[in-house]
Amino acid sequence: MELSVAARAALYNTPQAAMATPQLLPLELIDKCIGSRIWVKMKTEKEFVGKLLGFDDYVNMVLEDVSEFETRGMSKRIASRKQILLNGNNICMLVPGGRGPAVD
Amino acid sequence: MSEPANKRTPTDFLNSILGQRVFVRLNSGIDYKGLLSCLDGYMNIALEQTEEYVDGELRNRYGDAFIRGNNVLYISAI
Repeated sequence: MELSVAARAALYNTPQAAMATPQLLPLELIDKCIGSRIWVKMKTEKEFVGKLLGFDDYVNMVLEDVSEFETRGMSKRIASRKQILLNGNNICMLVPGGRGPAVD
Repeated sequence: MSEPANKRTPTDFLNSILGQRVFVRLNSGIDYKGLLSCLDGYMNIALEQTEEYVDGELRNRYGDAFIRGNNVLYISAI
């Protein structure tokens, strides 16, 4: 069945149509994490856990109440910081709500 | 999209720490502490009264220092 342009627009503008949208872009997922804790794994053997305050297009991130971990061998916490700007260049993976690595 | 009130982008953070004492950790593990005099979007950093720490031990002091942004792991206010 052919719909007019107006009819199609009306159809897609319904809240139901918006809610049914299956696509969530990767950075939209991270945007939803703002204000909650997140686990950041780097390309190197380093990990960070903290509350995400914001990020930019390069995925540089501002984190609060941060724990820094060295994950060579058994994980160990090496530093705690109030607020940091983490360079996005070496970030490998982000885990929303992450508790961080198991510390021995 | 509505912005949460507590949202704080990298640019906001950088503007808020200008002129403060900061801690900078490089990818190599070397740390610098100093007064942040200016920086840019590449995370290039100019520090004053800079102290250089290797393995947590003070190794050097510099009056002024420039750090190229690609080496920076993170910046933290102290």
